Amino acid sequence: MRKKELKLVVTFHTTADAMAMEKACKQYDVPGRIIPVPRAISAGCGLSWCADLSVREEIAAMMKKVGIEEEAMHECMV
Amino acid sequence: MNLSDSKKKLALAGAICGLVAACLAFLGNPANMAFCIACFIRDTAGALGMHQAEVVQYVRPEIIGLVIGAFVISVATKEYRATAGSSTATRFVLGMIIMIGSLVFLGCPLRMIIRMSAGDLNAWVAFVGFTLGVGTGVFALKKGFSLGRAHVTTKASGTVLPLLMAGIMILSFTSFVKASEAGPGSMHAPIIASLIGGLVFGIFAQKSRMCFAGSMRDIILMKNFDLFTVIAAIFVVMLVFNVATGRFVLAFDTPGIIAHSQHLWNILGMYAVGFAAVLAGGCPLRQLILAGQGSSDAAVTVIGMFVGAGLCHNFGLAASATAVNAETKEIVAGGVSPAGRIACVICIAACFVIAFTHKREEAK
Repeated sequence: MRKKELKLVVTFHTTADAMAMEKACKQYDVPGRIIPVPRAISAGCGLSWCADLSVREEIAAMMKKVGIEEEAMHECMV
Repeated sequence: MNLSDSKKKLALAGAICGLVAACLAFLGNPANMAFCIACFIRDTAGALGMHQAEVVQYVRPEIIGLVIGAFVISVATKEYRATAGSSTATRFVLGMIIMIGSLVFLGCPLRMIIRMSAGDLNAWVAFVGFTLGVGTGVFALKKGFSLGRAHVTTKASGTVLPLLMAGIMILSFTSFVKASEAGPGSMHAPIIASLIGGLVFGIFAQKSRMCFAGSMRDIILMKNFDLFTVIAAIFVVMLVFNVATGRFVLAFDTPGIIAHSQHLWNILGMYAVGFAAVLAGGCPLRQLILAGQGSSDAAVTVIGMFVGAGLCHNFGLAASATAVNAETKEIVAGGVSPAGRIACVICIAACFVIAFTHKREEAK
């Protein structure tokens, strides 16, 4: 079983924002992957973006550039 | 105890919900219906006089228990969050579509799984349609579909549906509501067992984020099987129950289980449900749970399902079930009426219109 690690998890207001995030990250070669919102974060069943903590600033800058607004940025075990 | 931090615990939550469904079937709920969100909303709508089909009128405490169970556990675990304002009218229409598609097939995704576990091959056929519907919804998501964001609103706003459900429960003890004397509506577990079953199911469904459309969406989109684990556990428990009690019959024409064998319409009915459920952000069960934990948007979807149920029986859209002629003992095939077929096609067309006209602002 994969060992859980502390990761950066970006949540969004809508599923469409999460899908746009995936597209933008591919376009700008920003690391990470789309995952279901961890249950520890939210009672919702939406999607979130998971990446290493080290790329937090890079992700924030890219989101600002392409106009994707996060709901929140969390650090949690994934 | 955190019930959602591992697949084993999610499977346990699913198994408990499966046990609840099995117990309710054992205690008197219709065969292989056990715990069907669409059927039970339809029965409750009938009890409230929203349609006049005398055989499917009964206030199902399971529905009320689901919403109140989700409400109580979300408040207790600080997950209650009152939100609203995400394309409300569109969600109402999606609720109607979910109900019409379900009653063309004769069951919601939960009942589809329960019917699959009982060997009903029609449900396996419908599962193909459901998966294709979810897949189409995922395609729309990838193309930028969005109903817009929900906003936090007053806490009291999120309590409306739980309070309405509590009101219906109180009404059920009066002579104002109708109750079937024959047919599926007359078959039910004792009220207290149904209510407790609904509460328990609601609590575990809320904690596990159980969602039939969501589980398929996550597999298609991310190859993530977390939500599917919950569904698989329900299937396994119901399979064991059906085999142990002699209710497992591997066949298409199985009179008495409230199903029909018109494959195309089983597929298209559940296609509409899967498609609409992804657009609405959850299956019928999930809509009830989300409404319980404060989403007014989900509450409107639920009200759309109630209205859809009324339409289905007032306009003859709901399918008829395969049955045995009492005199000749011959099997009479059930099926979908011409009106039901037209409605199903319109529902699918409406899903496409909604899917490709509601776009994320930046994606237009």
